[in-house]
Amino acid sequence: MKILKMAKHDLDFFASVLPAFGEVYAPVQRGKGFVFDKPSAWSEVRMDYTRTILPPKKLLLPPRETTFSFDPDQGFTDNLAEASKPVVLFGVHPYDIYGLNILDRVYAEAKFPDPYYIARRRATVVIGIDFVPDDKHCAGSMNADFVDHGFDIFLSDIGDDYLVLVGTSRGDDIVVKSGCLMQPATEADFAEYKKRSRIRRDSYKTKLELGDLPEILEMEYNSKVWDDFGARCLSCSSCSMVCPTCYCFDVTDETELGNRAGRRIRSWDSCLLRTHALVAGGENFREERSSRVKFRFYHKQRGFVAEYGRPSCVGCGRCVEVCPAEINIITVIETIRGERDGISSSAPASA
Amino acid sequence: MKPKIGIFGLSGCWGEQIAILNCEDQLLDIIGAVDIVDFLGGSSVNDAESRLLVSFVEGSVANAREEAKIRQIRERSDLVVACGSCACFGGVSAMDAPFERPKVIETVYGSNGPIKSWDIGPHRPLSDFVKVDLAIPGCPMETTEFVRAVSALLNGDMPLMPTYPVCLECKMKENECLLVQRGLPCAGPVTMAGCDARCPSHNIACIGCRGPVEEANMASIEQIFGDKELPKEQIKLKLRVFAAPVLDRTEERG
Repeated sequence: MKILKMAKHDLDFFASVLPAFGEVYAPVQRGKGFVFDKPSAWSEVRMDYTRTILPPKKLLLPPRETTFSFDPDQGFTDNLAEASKPVVLFGVHPYDIYGLNILDRVYAEAKFPDPYYIARRRATVVIGIDFVPDDKHCAGSMNADFVDHGFDIFLSDIGDDYLVLVGTSRGDDIVVKSGCLMQPATEADFAEYKKRSRIRRDSYKTKLELGDLPEILEMEYNSKVWDDFGARCLSCSSCSMVCPTCYCFDVTDETELGNRAGRRIRSWDSCLLRTHALVAGGENFREERSSRVKFRFYHKQRGFVAEYGRPSCVGCGRCVEVCPAEINIITVIETIRGERDGISSSAPASA
Repeated sequence: MKPKIGIFGLSGCWGEQIAILNCEDQLLDIIGAVDIVDFLGGSSVNDAESRLLVSFVEGSVANAREEAKIRQIRERSDLVVACGSCACFGGVSAMDAPFERPKVIETVYGSNGPIKSWDIGPHRPLSDFVKVDLAIPGCPMETTEFVRAVSALLNGDMPLMPTYPVCLECKMKENECLLVQRGLPCAGPVTMAGCDARCPSHNIACIGCRGPVEEANMASIEQIFGDKELPKEQIKLKLRVFAAPVLDRTEERG
């Protein structure tokens, strides 16, 4: 891996070379929140954003995408050309890059590789930046606050400069294209990086212990706490929508008016919804709300660990931010470990 | 021969019929695919006798005359589609459900008002009287859902209606959460989606016009409203505006 540095005041020059590599998406403000969007001017880009409402997943696995269209005369036409349009995703935090790496395991490296995801991932340049954790981030505990792959370039704040990690040959192309902006990094820069890395690691306000969590989850499988969470859960699916590693989808067909042509559409789904485990004949494998809340956390923290060797939570804090019922990675892990007495004193009684 | 369809309005604001006429980009495709033979809101010449493949009916049933009308529509139609929240749940005019109608009329129009003699009973959804094959809720229903329904029904299919709450579509549109982040009384978590989070996308809290989701967790959302210092009863009152009969029956069942 090549390590260079670039002056912070040169960032907008650096940004001006990016459109040559694809349509640029970067963190910009929306309301009080942030989103990855096409900035109309570089001054809109917020290098200090906390987290975006939706993770970068939205660009690689769109909330609703047409995978192919069909026509009785012409057969079907896939949408891979659309999925292959080059994109530059600028300003991705390390836990979100980790999230993409987890999606890679499921969508690109698993038994049935997904052509649409792979096309988009290949067409997407990822430029990471580091961040200052707030009280909802627990990426440190999830071992997702540093990444060693999954990006083309990674920028770390070292004061007046960014330390520039070049992760791929495509990243190197961008470096070459940005010409004299990049300088060799010095010993002093590395020392500054190490100092800041330490400060960042120590600045997490939320720490969760993952060590024996799969075992504790095993012990607590029949615990009453799941009924309490089930009684609170609204099944609104917000947690799944904003999760960088929730990857379930539903597939539907839409026909055109008056003929038999149409489209096949893939949309995000959620295991918190009643229909997720509903099958033909009306049988539902997870009829109870409590079993759905439980399923979500067992999948993230136990099932995924068994299959892929690490939990699929990256500690981004989005579920902490959006769940109206405060059922999130922090409250659930602390409750299940017996380190917290439920969510609120006035929780509705379990049904 | 093109399949014949009818479009009817009972007690309501005729908003669904206007929504249908507003499908401007698809109107030619619609009349290319079906023959609209009975549609008082769109034509002064109507055929009230023919057999119909589909009847789209908006509005609630408010008296014996409308009950007879919906039964007659059912009899001449292969499929009956309830359009809009009045037809699906009773709608706004069913809000008075727990009160006695004469008392409500007296409160509104005074004791000497002429309105007392009107033949208007409680407003009830179509499904209280006849079998409804498909319900498209909304106030008014979304034109996209209407067009999708026509297209699916012509292919011999039922369109897939959303069963999930507004939050799913609201998150997909990457809106800031009005309930959690702004503390506004948003009914999104317990309201049926399908509107693409129309109101929250304009920073207006969901008013629940598409009716409650099947498993609306009222106890929890009331609790959450309370925690946010919003009046707890507000969420139920909001949902009752459009779907009082449904909520009252759910409560009776416990």
